[in-house]
Amino acid sequence: MKKVLTVCPYCGCGCGLYIHVEDGKITGVSPSRSHPVNRGSLCVKGWNAHEFVSHPDRLKYPMIRQDGRLKKATWAEAINLVAARLEDIKGKYGPDSIGILSSAKCTNEENYLMMKFARAVLGTNNIDHCARLCHSSTVGGLASAFGSGAMTNSISEIADARVIFVIGSNTTEQHPMIAMHMLEAVDRGATLIVADPRRTKIAELSRIHLRHRSGTDVALLMGIMNVILNEGLVDIGFVRRRTENCDSFEEALRRYSPEIVEGITGVKANDIRRAARIYAMEKRSMLFYAMGITQHITGVDNVKACANLIMLTGHIGLPMSGINPLRGQNNVQGACDMGALPNVYTGYQAVTDPKARRKFERAWRRRLPEKSGLTLMEMMDMAYEGSLRAMYITGENPLISDPDLNHEREAMERLEFLVVQDIFINETSEYADVLLPAASYAEKDGTFTNTERRVQLLRKAIQPIGESRPDWEIISELSSAMGYKMSYRGTYEIMEEIALLTPSYAGILQHRLNEGFGLQWPCPDIDHPGTPYLHRKKFARGLGTFITVDFVPPDEPPDEAYPFLLTTGRMYFRYHTGTMCGRTSVLEREEPECFVEINPADAEKLGIKDRSMVRVGSRRGFIDLRAYVTQRTPEGIVFIPFHFKNAAANVITNPATDPDAKIPEYKVCAVKVEPLSRPQKTERPPLIDLETLRIT
Amino acid sequence: MKGEWILDKNHLSYWLRQLRKDRQLIGPLRDEGRDIVFRTVENIHEIVLDCPASLPSPKEFLFPQYEPMLRLNSNPSSPPLRKGVRAVEDLTDKNRRVIFGVRSCDISTLGLLDKFYLGKYRDPYYEQRRKNTLFISVVCNNPEPTCFCIGLATGPYLEKGFDIQLTDLGDRYFLQTGSAEGARTVRSMAFLFRRPTKLDYEDQYEVFLSSKAGFQKRIGLEGVRQMILSGRVKDDFWQWVAGRCFECGGCVYECPLCTCFTVTDRVYPDGIERVRLWDTCLFKGFTRMAGGVIPNEKMVLRTKRWYYHKLIHYPETLGDFGCVGCGRCTITCPGKIDMATIATKIKGLALNGDGE
Repeated sequence: MKKVLTVCPYCGCGCGLYIHVEDGKITGVSPSRSHPVNRGSLCVKGWNAHEFVSHPDRLKYPMIRQDGRLKKATWAEAINLVAARLEDIKGKYGPDSIGILSSAKCTNEENYLMMKFARAVLGTNNIDHCARLCHSSTVGGLASAFGSGAMTNSISEIADARVIFVIGSNTTEQHPMIAMHMLEAVDRGATLIVADPRRTKIAELSRIHLRHRSGTDVALLMGIMNVILNEGLVDIGFVRRRTENCDSFEEALRRYSPEIVEGITGVKANDIRRAARIYAMEKRSMLFYAMGITQHITGVDNVKACANLIMLTGHIGLPMSGINPLRGQNNVQGACDMGALPNVYTGYQAVTDPKARRKFERAWRRRLPEKSGLTLMEMMDMAYEGSLRAMYITGENPLISDPDLNHEREAMERLEFLVVQDIFINETSEYADVLLPAASYAEKDGTFTNTERRVQLLRKAIQPIGESRPDWEIISELSSAMGYKMSYRGTYEIMEEIALLTPSYAGILQHRLNEGFGLQWPCPDIDHPGTPYLHRKKFARGLGTFITVDFVPPDEPPDEAYPFLLTTGRMYFRYHTGTMCGRTSVLEREEPECFVEINPADAEKLGIKDRSMVRVGSRRGFIDLRAYVTQRTPEGIVFIPFHFKNAAANVITNPATDPDAKIPEYKVCAVKVEPLSRPQKTERPPLIDLETLRIT
Repeated sequence: MKGEWILDKNHLSYWLRQLRKDRQLIGPLRDEGRDIVFRTVENIHEIVLDCPASLPSPKEFLFPQYEPMLRLNSNPSSPPLRKGVRAVEDLTDKNRRVIFGVRSCDISTLGLLDKFYLGKYRDPYYEQRRKNTLFISVVCNNPEPTCFCIGLATGPYLEKGFDIQLTDLGDRYFLQTGSAEGARTVRSMAFLFRRPTKLDYEDQYEVFLSSKAGFQKRIGLEGVRQMILSGRVKDDFWQWVAGRCFECGGCVYECPLCTCFTVTDRVYPDGIERVRLWDTCLFKGFTRMAGGVIPNEKMVLRTKRWYYHKLIHYPETLGDFGCVGCGRCTITCPGKIDMATIATKIKGLALNGDGE
């Protein structure tokens, strides 16, 4: 038996775990005891991260669509076909008629190659990935305030914090190992403040729970800052020395007295005062946020409001004090760092900056496009309109994860050519012309960057299943077939190229990661030990900027026809679209079907009983699902997890996006809820998707 | 069966090398991440004996996290077993293993695991592995802060229940055999061992004493059991426990005595593979009935059940506590509601709260 230290493939915590291998097969996983994030613990998903790897549904060989059916093909056939079709479409309609979706599940090396492929080989900046749907507001918002958009502190600092302010994050369920550190801080006497409309588990552990209405985060944060300003709790020294534009910001702040904010958010003025005082007066205050802040049409404003709060109180630039966006995917931080985004190269070097572009042109020996490319949501719209002809989707399942699915399906249908590269057949691959089987996390080397900027080594434990291959090999081969030679002996060579072109990764080389548990960027040279916390003494952009924001109501507030506010989210035993956890028996069993949480008062008014079937509809569609009558969700709000394909919440969500970040407003839309008179038969999704087995 | 010997430390690697000839040698090794893990030993000199508790416990060698049980072959060319019955392939593990460097607490679980798996219903998968596994345990000279076997008489050294037990006397091991297989193993290489002298016994006793003195935690579970049985542990206490449970299952996965599993069938185009996987009673789906009803849907009932099982039901059904004080749940529990903490808290209730 062999045990291979590697990184968990689920969330952004980046826990260290061992994969157990017996006779070339995975027999289990166990946590690493000395890992700084998980310290001998794992969440249920980590503990079960072994089962899906060898699941029978794994895509084992390339497939090509012939006469409407996907048929088995050889690698050479598939690669040549993809190369020829992409060349053809590029020649006919120009490079910008192709869009690429990279993956936050793939390694840094693979994301780097993917973006190199898009820019140097295809000649387009149309590359994006799921970060668009989770933290594009953070990347934009924090970059304009500080010059760098990532978690400022380290996870291991949390336990020593004195105040933990969590806004819009269901930390216990979505980042359990971070919540573990928070709980330890609470045990040591720290005050936990949670702002969330729902009474989540972390909210139950909190001292103060601010249950504001979804979509009123700016108002709530402005109210808190108003108290801080009026009660003289501003860190004047910090504001003077380290920031700019505070005066005009203070003007805007005066309009948000706690009483006015109470009217907007529904949070008692006194609770706002209490929270503000505790947060501002303690030193070592850490702010955490996640999708509850970012997934709004005001996502960027929400992030800027958070940034203003920490600058006003001077809670940044020190250990245990900063602003911490919790990243969702295991490598979504890395995919962003690697420039799998339409507007930047690695390390957030703008494509519109001629200096940066020249650097990459010289390194890659190709002319590179000058204009920013399309974002994920724009690609879908362009595909729908017909101006985007081909897409290449890696390790992503947009047909569950994107909003307004009916529109998305139509968009996929209209594409001339679609390549899907994944470890399983998923909802998106039903529209694919070519399916390329990728190797899973256990079958390849590379690096992942977790939410605290820790670049860690992923180690290969077993041989790729079937004919599947690591994504970086597939991209290299495809690129070579298209006349741009990529020959890397291993991922360490790719990492070396990344280090060469990326100042924040300049000292991060794979041989350095072999000992210990990785390095946190920025790591500017080969001897640099990494950076546990950011913005010490100086912000990345010099002075921090206060950016005035104003409360803007959600795009689609409840009205008479659609009286409820729907907010979507995730649950503990499931992970996103279920490609992995849906093939893990214990996880799949726990919550086999979708549900909607509704407050008892609302349920009574509508005559809905606990566990009865209801129909939830919006202007875009409806789904039928079971009602959980619970106090967890406040009156007027209903909650649906988005994981399930037989009741996909994203059929009804609103595709309205933030004007800057283009992130859709998953967290708010207007719906109506009706009891279904007759109990509808609910299809329990089978563990084994028989449909996939028929495709041969 | 019982025997006492002395093994010179210089002979250890030779002995292990001989044992390795017809068995897989598994031992505690230091990994890239500085952790100690049990895995196949390539280089015997890399074995780390004075090590902190391994994660997970050595139960993984008797009852692995993921274990293929059998395969049904739907391939028409394979010969049918009987008329109309498709070929069934038994996937019982046939490997012979010697697991070196196990701790006493883990060895003391074997008796209870045997009662569970080889009682009224015999589990052939466990039985086969148990039969093919030889444990060489080492008396803990330096217990960890999380350890509390001493209060449960499951360590740091054992009187019985082991195959071979080693006590480190500095330059030599005091070796005891406790099973027929253990005795046979030693006897087959008798030239490596000598009989202990009075001095060896004195040294062994000294080690026992110093080891006992090293424990930071002294927790007995009988008092906790009495507290629970007397009804003085109220539901609001269990509510507090449940509020901190992360539902990770770590306590069950890590526990050397927990035996929950689930069985699932994997459907391939040419057959079906039946596998069993670790499961935990802490998950609500674990007890879901056919009609969809879950008797223990509330978290508080599930966390409470785990403690009741360990502290009340185990002694009733198998004759001893379902805990050996290995401290792994203390290491792994993200909510810090592990056995040691809860036992201490419950005892605290007796002191602070109502009487006694």
